[in-house]
Amino acid sequence: MRSEEIRTQRERHGRRAVAVLPIHYPKELLTALDLLSVELWGPPGPPRGDDAGRVQSYVCSVVRNALAFLAGGHAEAVDGVLFPHTCDSIQQLATLATDLGGWRKPAFTFLHPRGADRPSARRFVEAELRRLAGTLEALSGHLLTEERLAAALALHARIDAARAALLDGRSRLALDDTRLYALLRRGEWRWPADHLVELEGALATLSERPVQRGAPVLVTGYVPEPAALLATLNEAGAFVAADDYAAVGRRVVRAAPPPSADPWRTLVDRYFAAPPCPTRGADVAVRMHHLLGLAERGGARGVVVHVLKFCEPELFDVPAIRETFAARGLPVLVLEGELEGQLSGQAVTRLEAFAELLQGARGAA
Amino acid sequence: MTALRRAQYEVAGRVAFPLLTALDRWQHRLTRSRKGPGGGPFGPPLESVKRLKELMSHHYFQGRYADGAVPVAWVTSGFPVEVLRALGYHTVYPENHAALCGVQRLTPEYSDVAEARGYSRDLCSYVRTDLGSLLSGTTPVGRLPRPQLLACCTNICQTVLYWYRELARHLDVPLVLVDTPFVHGAASPHQLAYVKEQLEELCLVAGRISGAPLDAERLVEVTRTAQEGSRLWGECLAASRARPAPWTGIDGFFHIAPIVTLRGTEPCNGYYRLLRDELNDRVARGVGGLKQERHRLLWDNLPVWFAVRRFSTLLAERGFNFVSTSYTNAWAEAGVGIDPNDPIGSAARTYTHIILNQDLPNRLDILRRLSRDYAVDGAILHSDRSCKPYSIGQVDLRERLSRELGIPVLLLEADHNDPRSWAAEPGENRLAAFMEQFE
Repeated sequence: MRSEEIRTQRERHGRRAVAVLPIHYPKELLTALDLLSVELWGPPGPPRGDDAGRVQSYVCSVVRNALAFLAGGHAEAVDGVLFPHTCDSIQQLATLATDLGGWRKPAFTFLHPRGADRPSARRFVEAELRRLAGTLEALSGHLLTEERLAAALALHARIDAARAALLDGRSRLALDDTRLYALLRRGEWRWPADHLVELEGALATLSERPVQRGAPVLVTGYVPEPAALLATLNEAGAFVAADDYAAVGRRVVRAAPPPSADPWRTLVDRYFAAPPCPTRGADVAVRMHHLLGLAERGGARGVVVHVLKFCEPELFDVPAIRETFAARGLPVLVLEGELEGQLSGQAVTRLEAFAELLQGARGAA
Repeated sequence: MTALRRAQYEVAGRVAFPLLTALDRWQHRLTRSRKGPGGGPFGPPLESVKRLKELMSHHYFQGRYADGAVPVAWVTSGFPVEVLRALGYHTVYPENHAALCGVQRLTPEYSDVAEARGYSRDLCSYVRTDLGSLLSGTTPVGRLPRPQLLACCTNICQTVLYWYRELARHLDVPLVLVDTPFVHGAASPHQLAYVKEQLEELCLVAGRISGAPLDAERLVEVTRTAQEGSRLWGECLAASRARPAPWTGIDGFFHIAPIVTLRGTEPCNGYYRLLRDELNDRVARGVGGLKQERHRLLWDNLPVWFAVRRFSTLLAERGFNFVSTSYTNAWAEAGVGIDPNDPIGSAARTYTHIILNQDLPNRLDILRRLSRDYAVDGAILHSDRSCKPYSIGQVDLRERLSRELGIPVLLLEADHNDPRSWAAEPGENRLAAFMEQFE
């Protein structure tokens, strides 16, 4: 599907494509420059080539799989790769693949400031965004005018609003989790305007009253892979009522300040208005407050922490998540995975038992 | 801060510790006279070691009385400490503390405590050691002073930021961050401006917590001392260009402690003058770190603290010495860049260009240069399960170093602190097979 989209966008609109490593990046810039962003979350499953062996087995499967994918020639359809500085491992992948072999086409980096929103970080982000835009202009063949940027910002604000409405109105949406996430995750590679159309189509199906009958849960973690996790959850009698996956809900900007006359300022505002993420060094207390708010709005009766093995940013917050929700009497299930193609039997059993526990909790209440 | 606590702090450092040291020396003399001289493949021990032990023991001993007496900060090893030093902070280095626990093989015990609280065993073993120590309320150094400030710089890894976020949560103290964006090629002006601005923020925040504004002249003085310390440490390391090297790379791992934890102080520099002079004297007399140095090796990455002695003995028995390590070199190479004429601007530049904050071509250049400067015959790259930024890329680095320099290079998988991640039998077999290539 991704290859088809890349080909279609190139043939019909002359758009070039950029593969993007997780997690956060200024997608608005790429859209403004008429560049299709195609995200590379691994891909899941076994590594597609021997180059995964150039990275030690104690490094996460996103990095190992991505190196194998890029070096194995599987990303030839794109014209460049963007490596956001998400974590130590993706940062090292950026220099490994581009400097020591694996990727020969143009490569771009985006450096995140860590920690709180502060004036120095804002100035740095704006300079970094302008630097990135300058390097992307050469690839796209377009100049980034303020009009283009403002239009892209408006488009992405609408996309975020639609995604937020779908996630926040989850219980009133008749889609099962597998279909909902398939829709949301198409945003990782579809042209944004086309993606907005399908999001708005789904929004039109929102009911007035709840239609989901299972136990609502909050899910936080890296990426919903394997997708079988969602089906298992639904079959066991639970559904995702609140989402903090890095790949999904954690990238939905809900509370950005109103657009400024200066689109660069709007872009910086949107950057800092994103939900708290450990990869950007968000304060733990701020993140826990955010997760509690999500759980409360979704009426979650339990929390599934679905982390990628060896993913330090996610793993570091697990104790705080456990303590935060234990203090409120919400059970927490921690699942670790490695981008397997299938959910393990043990994971299925644990999810089923957890859903059963939550159903019992409703009875008790 | 109270006058009583301050008095206790001063008495601990100036009176109690010297008395205890004198007592220890006396007991040591009695013990040694009974034991007699030791054997093994190593050359005569460095006389400076005694002073090193005293220096570090003094630091930790006086630290027990620091909170309430002077401002206290817990600091990452790559943090621009000059500002804190100029403000009179007593600094504690959780990494150094964790390494100390690692040498004593306390990591499994502390890690169990951390794991029971939900920290994954896949997290850095320094972190698990240190958090386990904190959560259990025990430490082999007696007591660590409670910090008023946590000071974290991301130039060695992002892990320290996650680690210090957790410390801030548990200790409920402010965390000041100096974020150094990763350098691909050369640092851009906006990167350096960002770091410089954060250092200026640090001066204000740390000054407010300490209760006194930063004295610009004092900062110049501390910066000069820190620069001198790095230069002296570099001279100590450079002594190993001689054949035989007057000490071992393993010695270097231990003697790095002052430049990490006491950088910017006169006791640190005084110690390295003593060490440098002793090393140069050994070079002049042809005294080596090994009785017989047959092969010279380069080590990349952190040491395997819990097996340092075992590793060095295995190698030394067959005449192998680590004459250079990229880890110890980092403190010599970067620190000389700070400039008393521009303490903040030069610190921004210097602390952004730490080895782990730069791309792999830069790392390869350093390894090549060290290999040539120290005339090594082979290299061991420690693939450290607990340090991803240091380890990712080593598979390629191994291949390139070996091909370009025509030397055997071994990639050895271990962990800097957790013995549970080290398979001794197959690991030592690999070391033995590596050494056989030189026969």
